[in-house]
Amino acid sequence: MAEKLLLLMLLVVWLHKGESVWLNIPKSGNKCVTEEIHNNVVVVGDYVVISDDHLHPTPTISSKVTSPYGNILHHKENVTHGQFAFTSSESGQYLTCFWSDHPGEGGSLSVNIDWKIGIAAKDWESVARKEKIEGVELELRKLEGAVEAIRDNLIYLKTRESEMRGVSETTNSRVAWYSIISLGICILASCAQLWYLTRFFQKKKLI
Amino acid sequence: METTMKAYAFLGLIVLATFAVDVSALSVTVNDVECVYEYVLYEGDTVSGNFVVVDHDIFWSSDHPGIDFIVSSPGGNVVQTMKGTSGEKFEFKAPRSGMYQFCFHNPYSTPETVSFYIHVGHIPNEHDLAKDEHLDPVNVKIAELREALESVTAEQKYLKARDARHRHTNESTHKRVIFYTIAEYILLAVASGLQVVYIRRLFSKSVAYNRV
Repeated sequence: MAEKLLLLMLLVVWLHKGESVWLNIPKSGNKCVTEEIHNNVVVVGDYVVISDDHLHPTPTISSKVTSPYGNILHHKENVTHGQFAFTSSESGQYLTCFWSDHPGEGGSLSVNIDWKIGIAAKDWESVARKEKIEGVELELRKLEGAVEAIRDNLIYLKTRESEMRGVSETTNSRVAWYSIISLGICILASCAQLWYLTRFFQKKKLI
Repeated sequence: METTMKAYAFLGLIVLATFAVDVSALSVTVNDVECVYEYVLYEGDTVSGNFVVVDHDIFWSSDHPGIDFIVSSPGGNVVQTMKGTSGEKFEFKAPRSGMYQFCFHNPYSTPETVSFYIHVGHIPNEHDLAKDEHLDPVNVKIAELREALESVTAEQKYLKARDARHRHTNESTHKRVIFYTIAEYILLAVASGLQVVYIRRLFSKSVAYNRV
């Protein structure tokens, strides 16, 4: 009875500790997920492989995490589970790829990815231990962290929006300018044509 | 007996502590069909989320009007369908617990990148309160507060993805303006030059002799 309870607890903890998504790894080729992360953000990832056909031993996979400039942040082969943690130093698309070690055999594989960035990656257990808070106070601390994260996100969105507004306004003024210049070039070209042809016919004594 | 009580208490605490943990918005490339699965622990949980089609290197907007999104319950029934959309929010109450399937269908040949976010939220109700004596009513309020903040965060993620798509369109417009106007000027100059050359040839000596 106690073992069953322990197993159930572990299952609940494992399934519920991060709200993780399940992906299907194709038999050949790889499965990649990307995320746009900006600078100086803590990223924590955890992945587990499960064989849909309940094969034993579980077929292994390889995984790789690449930064936007091409640096490999995590690379592991022949594993059924793994985790990685890093702080982003570049802003851009981070790519995580999984592929089967033995393509063709091994049946259908599913990988459970638990990917947390920013405030969600914060280790609340260590904060609770250090400051000796627990229960309701810890929950309220977490909510406070969530609110601060919301505010930071809003400021980030505001900055991005103002950059985009700059680009839009430049495009707007350029469209106007270039259309006027285009009209000018049209008139210029026709005047040049007329002048040249008049000179040509005058030389040919046709006019 | 005592160990069972302790185990239940530990379970209760863990279950409470891990409600509504966040996962960030991941992007996948959809070639034909891409499916993402999410496990719903309790029946009656609210599953909410959003998705935005981000990568858009198309020429006309009629090239790719959008993708289809289908949510299936563990029993195989379709819970939600959205067709031909380039970004949408969704929310539904899970009729039963189990593994739910969220599928993106791309009816066209150009691969698209979809940024999605799925959240399963659980608020302990009176039934859970009665079952576990370590859960008291303030935890219910805290869970509701957490879910409300979570919905704000989800909205922000949706806005961020939409902003990324808008930015992509903007930068594409910017580049197109410059490239196409310069190309237009060059073509105009070349066309008028060709016109002059042709007229010159019409009036050249060899042709004139044959006519006159």
